Order: sequence, then structure tokens, then C-alpha cells
Amino acid sequence: MEMNEDKKDFKTNTVGDIFSDNPKIVSRNVSVYYNDKKAISDVSLDIGSKEIISLIGPSGCGKSTFLRCFNRMNDTIDGCKVEGKIFLDNENIYDEMIDVVPLRAKVGMVFQKPNPFPKSIYDNVAYGPRIHGLVDNKKDMDNIVEMSLKNAGLWDEVKDRLDSPGTGLSGGQQQRLCIARAIAVSPEIILMDEPCSALDPIATAKIEELLQTLANDYSIVIVTHSMQQAARVSQRTAYFHLGELVEVGYTKHIFTNPTDIKTQNYITGRIG
Amino acid sequence: MTLIYLILILLFISLCWFYLGNNSAKIIKTKSGRLHSLAHYYGLYVLLYSFLPSFFVFIIISVFDDLLFSFLINDYIPDNIKIEPDYNKTIILAQIQNLIDGINFGNPSDWIILASEKMQEWFKISTISNYCFSILVAIIGGYLGFKNIDQDFRSRNSVEKIVIFLLALSSVIAILTTIGIIFSVIFESLRFFAIIPASEFLFGLTWNPQFEGAERAGSGQEGLASYGSVPLFVGTLLISFIAICIAVPVGLYSAIYLSEYSSKKERSFFKPLLEILAGIPTVVYGFFAALTVAPMLRSGGSLLGLDVASESALAAGFVMGIMIIPFVSSLSDDVINAVPQSLRDAGYALGSTKNEVILKVILPAALPGIIGSIILAVSRAIGETMIVVMAAGLAANLSFNPLDAVTTVTAQIVTILVGDQEFESAKTLSAFALALTLIVITLILNFYALYIVKKYREQYE
Amino acid sequence: MNKSLMNAKDAELIVKSSVLKRRRKDKRLKFYGRSTIFIALSFLVFLFYSIFEKGIPGFFQYYVTLDVNLDQKRLDPKGDLSHESLYNGDGRGLVLEALYKVIKPKGRKEKKSAKKIISSNADVRIAKMILNDPSILGKTIPITFAVDDDIDSFLRGYIKRDTPESDRRINDKVINFVDILVKENKVIYKFSDYILTGSASRSPEIAGIKGALIGSILTLVVCFFLSFPLGVATAVYLEGFAPKNKITEIIEININNLAAVPSVVFGILGLAIFIGVFGMPRSIPLIGGMVLAIMTLPTIIISSRAAISAVPPSIKDAAYGVGASKLQTLMHHVIPLAIPGMLTGTIIGMARALGETAPLLMIGMVAFIVDIPNSIQEPATVLPVQIFMWADFAERMFINKTSSATIILLVFLILMNAIAVFLRNKLERRW
Repeated sequence: MEMNEDKKDFKTNTVGDIFSDNPKIVSRNVSVYYNDKKAISDVSLDIGSKEIISLIGPSGCGKSTFLRCFNRMNDTIDGCKVEGKIFLDNENIYDEMIDVVPLRAKVGMVFQKPNPFPKSIYDNVAYGPRIHGLVDNKKDMDNIVEMSLKNAGLWDEVKDRLDSPGTGLSGGQQQRLCIARAIAVSPEIILMDEPCSALDPIATAKIEELLQTLANDYSIVIVTHSMQQAARVSQRTAYFHLGELVEVGYTKHIFTNPTDIKTQNYITGRIG
Repeated sequence: MTLIYLILILLFISLCWFYLGNNSAKIIKTKSGRLHSLAHYYGLYVLLYSFLPSFFVFIIISVFDDLLFSFLINDYIPDNIKIEPDYNKTIILAQIQNLIDGINFGNPSDWIILASEKMQEWFKISTISNYCFSILVAIIGGYLGFKNIDQDFRSRNSVEKIVIFLLALSSVIAILTTIGIIFSVIFESLRFFAIIPASEFLFGLTWNPQFEGAERAGSGQEGLASYGSVPLFVGTLLISFIAICIAVPVGLYSAIYLSEYSSKKERSFFKPLLEILAGIPTVVYGFFAALTVAPMLRSGGSLLGLDVASESALAAGFVMGIMIIPFVSSLSDDVINAVPQSLRDAGYALGSTKNEVILKVILPAALPGIIGSIILAVSRAIGETMIVVMAAGLAANLSFNPLDAVTTVTAQIVTILVGDQEFESAKTLSAFALALTLIVITLILNFYALYIVKKYREQYE
Repeated sequence: MNKSLMNAKDAELIVKSSVLKRRRKDKRLKFYGRSTIFIALSFLVFLFYSIFEKGIPGFFQYYVTLDVNLDQKRLDPKGDLSHESLYNGDGRGLVLEALYKVIKPKGRKEKKSAKKIISSNADVRIAKMILNDPSILGKTIPITFAVDDDIDSFLRGYIKRDTPESDRRINDKVINFVDILVKENKVIYKFSDYILTGSASRSPEIAGIKGALIGSILTLVVCFFLSFPLGVATAVYLEGFAPKNKITEIIEININNLAAVPSVVFGILGLAIFIGVFGMPRSIPLIGGMVLAIMTLPTIIISSRAAISAVPPSIKDAAYGVGASKLQTLMHHVIPLAIPGMLTGTIIGMARALGETAPLLMIGMVAFIVDIPNSIQEPATVLPVQIFMWADFAERMFINKTSSATIILLVFLILMNAIAVFLRNKLERRW
């Protein structure tokens, strides 16, 4: 009960409905500082189960910083401090008792630039299950690798060369390999930080298609600088401006009828 | 010493030419109102025209007069001396030189006195002609340059051409050095291999160099000296191996800690401290090894019932290991830092702990670079001299036991070539053959290591 | 579709169950890393400790104060106060007489063993004092003399009283005399007169590093004046003018390889080319400097090139923009900005040259040279070689003196590196 009290105790200037009916992640008054510079301030937002939500906004607005709060990747940056609360399944992930290892196993992440390890395709996918000790025999591991690659839509392209290095794939394939690597550890949420910005349109289309299938199993938070992409893939959209969450709502609504003037300016291309 | 005055005179003459050139250019400018370049470029042009050729003449005369005289002096050495079995021209030249310098050992023979008088005369001639010629060239050269001055003459371009030529010339020195090294070593090595077959040198198991005289004294037996270099290479490898066994774990773990675990402050404190180890002169390490480490190992060994030689491979290798820790650690540190952050991010985002990211992501990715840095450290260890000279001894034992006394290639080179030596004997020449193999080995290692590191850098650029 | 992948909840349980173990492994690696740094640094501390522990006492030594009657006739037999006359004088006899007055030996045998107490250098000391101030002649004044190195070792406790007489380097009689001197307050322990101002000697109590230090300085001066201009000129050419072709490439590979050649090889080069082919004399700083210059050249070229290429192209463009030629741009703008970087590299190269030993051994700078060199063409030795030679001598006192010489060498090296670091931090601009 106390937990729910916490969740209600917040203030927000955000326009629109920040709540979700079936929330997976609940963030309340999250502020992030880099040394003494405030990167985002008082962001509160729910992320629903098995929904795709996109975070948009001009560059430097703090959308990536906010995304990196969900798996505490900000911890790896020197001088970065996070205030506020983020609940994942009713557990505050910034609680002192929380270990980031299981948290990050539960919250997968895909980065802007494809970053496969300089290992074979097989080892790239098997890396997560191996370090977490998810399986203890070769057969199960083969199975996980195969299923992850299938779910990432890469299996048919690489099944004959699982031993060749992951870095030898094309950009789009590398990014799908990274998605396969993330889902191999059975996460519940996948964070994507501009996953298509380094890819050509055809590879982008493939990833976007993949996102729709993945949404059946995972909650997906995607940061994108492309409004079209946000419109195509996500159910809800959140607009960030200068470190603040300005407006959030159903994608269709945001793109056709934004309420806040800043959102309007961004959508219509006056700022960006 | 008088030659230094000559250089000063040449400089003075060319400065005079600078002044003349500069002035005449200024006069032209005031008369005709235009001049292609700034006035001082005309001065510089004349200065270079005067100084460079005269300096060249000066160098030629002062370097080659010795060579010429030592050739001419042949006529003054009696034939009966030349056919003596231990005839050595270097020694005779030294005797003559001593006489010129007024140092007298015993009563020199008449022909030596005569030769030295002749020599002194020649030196006088050469000094005088050196003065005359180079001053003449300085004046004529300056005049030729001076004649070129007129309002359309592009003096700046000419000066720049000369300066760039001089710069290019200096970059050739590096090449000359290499050629010098290679030729000096290869020629003497070939002479060595004419006496001792290469197969014996490369595969022989005993190293026991002797001077010719000693050989003859040894009851007339042939083959008293033997030049099998295997024990030296075994000793070198043994000591290098011990050094690597210390330097690689310590250096690598330190690099891992400094690049991944330590805070910025800790890093900026520890890194320079570690690098002090590389800045300490090797002779200090040698002294430390011989005076402190070797006796400690010896008494420690006797406590355990082990017989440690007072000049053991272990002591030398141990101290050498300390010395090359910073090579391994800073190079590995660079290589680890060159692993892109995105790979670390990928590892952490999958829920890896720090050690999993280090051991399973960073190290495999950095492995080629780390191997490169280890190879560079090995090549450093193989070429290291003072520590082994002072702590490893000279006994050419063919042994793999780190507690035994062994010797190394570098230690042998130093012992053979230090002090007076006959350039003709197999013993002296053997040092050049050793040096040749040493150079070949270190260059191959270096080439290979740089190749690996370069390949590795390209992967992430 | 997701069936064959593990259920998220099961996965979470597995991960959570093993996380403690994995954290422990992480801590262990961190601990190993920290320990290795600790180990490496304790080597460093141990090295410095063992040198300082022996080296600091090396700066001090025992002296005996004696009232010497400076008899004019015996000290200056010719009476003209010339060098020759003074050095032929019987200073030693007078010193021994003064000594006998204190310790009162009986018979010739005791007198003979008492002679050992005072350093053989005592008469030279008196001669020097008289040259400085002839008015002391004829007076009886107290003068301090260094004691012989065996006595010094005894006073320091290295030679033990309870060792059997036959195993000791000094016999019971001498110990008895030293005891008398100590009781009469004639023995003092003070900063050594010889370590900094003496030159090479076979008697450790009067050996010093002055000759080697001057040899080192002369050698470094030669090395600097050869390698700095050549290195900078090469770097300027390669960075500024060299066309990108095979020859340039060969030069570059060459320079990198020269940096990796073991230092002893440069000694061989010096021996074979400078001494063998050009017939130059051995042991002189001129050749030492040339060999070290060749050895240092790659370091200077590499760091100078880095300094030149670190100057931002915008500055060059600005100079080209106002019509400067390539050479003018380099000379007026790029090189002045790159000089701190070049100097830093040069000083680090010089510091390495100062500590270098092996190549100088090969060109004969290892000779035992008593005279202090006055020019780059006189035989000399250098500090590291002096350390190498002293390290070979057996006398106990030489161990201390070697360590003291090492401290002096290290002080110079630290000074040079500190200057380099200072230059890098204060003068080098960051763009």
C-alpha cells in the first residue's frame, strides 16, 4: 500500500495522460544531473505492459537520458545522479537493495549504433544466457540461440554461418543481432535508443516490422528522432523538450492534434 | 681545438656576406622602388651560399685527413715489421699518436719517431690547407651569391629551396644510421662466418670464445675455442621468460584495474608512479639485482634447501620483470582504453558484472593489442643489457634451471667488446654475429607487434 | 512464437540466485588488480629503500682530527711553493707523527700497522691547503683527514670486533688505536668532502663522482646539440614537406624500427663506424654523445612530429590565408607553438641518454680515468658507467658510494622528468 502512496505522491506539468491501465514501469519525479547540470527534471510517466511507447523531441532534450534510467545505464557514467523513483513491477529500481545485474537482465537494451561483440554470431547471442547461467547444456543453448535469432527475424539469413563473426554482418543485420542478443536473456522490457538512426530505409523497415511482432511479448520503449517512425510503430508517444516531459498521449492524438504549443511547433517542424 | 676557430671564422665571413647582401638589396629597393622579396632574404641567400659550401669543405678535409695519413704512413713502416705475425696497424698508429701527444712509453724505435715527425708535418699542412681552402670557398661562394642579387631575383624562393633541402638531408640521417648499423654488423659477421661455419654458430651447444693467442698457448690443440650460441640464446630466453612471468600478470592486472576499476583520481596518481619504474636507468636495476635481490634469493633458497647460484637467472629475470611492468601496463592500458565504449555498454546492458565485461568482452576484444604489447616487452627483455651483465654473470651454461647461472647474448657482446680487442680475431667478430642475430630477432618481434597493434587499431577506427 | 525461449519469471529467478556469487567474483578481480598495483609499487619502494638505505650513509664518512706541525722545510723542500715541490714534500710523515703523538705506538711494528689508519690521500690534502693559504706554513694546526676505508667500515660496525682477528681486514692493534682516537674525541662523522668533488680512485674513502658527472654533462651536451637540431629538422621535413611516396614511407618505418633497436647495438655502431672506420679515439665524450644522439634521435623525431601535428590546421590556414609560404607558415606559426612539445620529448630522450650505460661501455668510456675531463675530446667516463664500475669493487665502502652515486643520478633524472612534466602541463596549449 505504501508503494502505491509513493506512486501517487508527485506533481506534474505534463499535458495529457501520463498513466497507463496496466503499468509495467511507473516513474515519478525523475530528475537526472550530470555533475551539477540538470539533464531532465521531474519526469513522471507510466509505461504499460506490452505496449510500444516512443520518446521524441529535439536533440539534447533528455529523451535518451530518461531511457537509460530504466536499466540504470546512467550508473556507468561518472558524475551522473538520478533523483526520483522508478518502479518496475512495484519495486523501486533505485532502491539501495536493488542489484543492477538482475534488473538489466529483465530490461534489455538496444543501442543507436549496432554494437555486436567481436565474436561469432552464436557467441553474441549466447553471451547473455552464458553469463547468467540460464542453461547448462549445449542443446538448450542452441535452442535459445535459434529461437532468439528467429524472434529477431535473422535466423534464415545466418543459420548457415553461426560461427562467422557478428561484426561481418550488414548494419541492419547487426542491429537485429543485437535485438536477438537482448531477447536471449528473456527480458520483459526492451529499451531502444534510436535503433534505426544508423540504418538505411530498407533495414529500418525490417526493424519496424520486427517491433510489431516483439510487442506481443515485450514492453518496448523506443527513442527516436524520426516522427514518422514514432507514428508508425508506437501506441503512445511522449514529447520531451529541454529536459521536461511536455506532452504525452496516444500517438494518433499527438500527431494530429497536439495540445501544447511546443509540441505543435515540433510536430509541424518549426523546431527540431 | 684550432678547428673551432675556423668554424667561427667561417661564420663571421658568412655574416659579413649577409650584411652586404642585405644592404645591397635595400639600396636596390630605394633606387628602383621594388624588390621581389624582403631584403633580409637576399642577405640570407648570400649567407647560405657562403657558409654551406665552405662548411662542407671543412668537414671533408677534417674527417678524411686522418684516413689519408694512416694510408700514407704505410711507407714509413719497415717491411720487416709488416710481416711480423702480430702486426697490428691500429697499435702502431696509437704509438705514433702517443709520440705526437708527447706521451712516451720506453724508447720508441727510430722509424716510429720518423713517422710521427712526418705525421706532425702532414697535420700542419692539412690544418693550414683546411683554413685556406674553406675560407677561400666561403669568400668565393658568397661572391657568387652576391652577384645574383637584382630586383627581379626571387631570393625568398631560393632560400626556401635550400632550407627544405637541408631539412630533407637531415631526415636521411635516420636511414644512414640504419645502413651504418646493418653494414657494420653484417660485414664483420660475414668475416666471422668465414672462420666459423654458420651451422656451428647457430646449433653448437658450447660457447667458449678464446683469443687467437690463448688458443695457440693451449698446447697447440685446434678447436679449443668454440662458438656455439645455443647456450646464450637459451639463457636469454630463460631470463626473458622469467621477466615476462612477472611483468605480464602484474602489468596486465594493473592495467585492468587502472582502466576499468579505479577512479580518475586514483588513476592519475598510480599511473605516473608505475611509469617511474620504466624511467630508472638499467644500471641501477643491475646494481639492485646484484646487491640486494641475488643475495636475498640465495639465502631464501638455502632456507628451502635449494642451491641458488650467486648470479642466478632468477635474480636477473626477476628484476628485469620489474623493469618491464610499465611497458606491459601502459601499452595494455592504451589497448584496453581503445576498446569502444559501445561494447562495454552492450555488456552492461545485458546485465554483466564488471568482471564479466572485462573478462568476456574487453579482454577478448583487446587480445591482439595485448599480445602486441607483450611481444614488445619481450623484445625489450631480449635486448636488455646492464641487468644481465651485472646480475646474470658470464658462465655460458646450457641450463633451463632458473637457479643456475646463465649468460645472455647481450652480456656476451658487452664482455667481448669492452676493452681493447683485436678486430681480426674470431672472438671479437663473434660479438658482431651475436649482434646480428639480436637485431634480426628484435626487429622481427617489433615488426610483428606493431603489425598486430595496427591491425587491431584499424578494427575500431 | 516465444514458447521456446525461457519464461521471463524463471529467468529472473535464475539470475537472482547467482548474482551474489557473481558479485563476489567481481570483487575478487578488483582485489587482484589493486594488489598487483600494490605489488608493483612495493617493488619500487623496495628499490628506492635499498638504494637510499645504503646511499645516504655514503654521503658521510669518518674523519680524524690531528694537530699537524706544518714544518716548512719538510713540506716544501725547494722552498718555492710550487706544485712540484709541495707534492714532493713529506706531508705523510708529518701526519703520521701527529697521529703517533695521540696513539703512542710502541716499536716499529705497531707504527707500521698504525699507518693504515689515515687515508693515503692525507699529503695531497695538506698540499692543497698550503696552496690555498701559504701563511699556515710553519704553524701547528688541527686538520681533519679521512680515515682509511677499512677503519671507516669498522667504525660503522661492518667489521665486527668479535670476528676472529685472522678473518678481519684490520688487526687488534689497529682497533686498539682507533679506540684511543675515539676516546680522545679525535674521530668525527661528517658530510664527505670527496663524494661530490673527488674523482675516480681505487681507494674508496677518497673516490668521488665529479669526473663522471662532468663526463656525463659533456656527453649530454654533445648529444643534445646533435640530436635536437637533426631531430627537429627531420620532424619538420616529414610533417611539412615530405611527399607521400615510397622513400618517405621507408624513412618512417626506419625511424620506428630504430626506436626498438636494443641500446647495446648503438654501441656496436659507434665502435665499428666511429672508432673502427673513422679512427676516432676511444673513451671520449664526443663519440659517447654521437652514439647517444643516434639512439635518442627516434624519440625526438617521434615526439616532435606529434607536437607539430597537434597544432590545429586552422592556424596554418590563417597563415596561408594572408599569403605566407609553406616554410614561413611553419617557421613563424607552427614551430613556435610546437616547441614546448618538442622540448618535452627532447628532455625525456636526454633523461634516457643520461641513464644509458651499455653503448658507452662498448666505445670505451669504461676506462679508469682519474683526471677530470676538460673537453669533449679528453677521455672521460659517465655517471652510470661509474656506478657500473664501482658496483664491481669489493670494498664495503664502495657499496655505499655506489648507492650515493645512484642517488645523484636519480636526482638528475627526476629533475629532468619534472621539467618535462612542467613544460607539458604549463606551456603546452590545448586546443
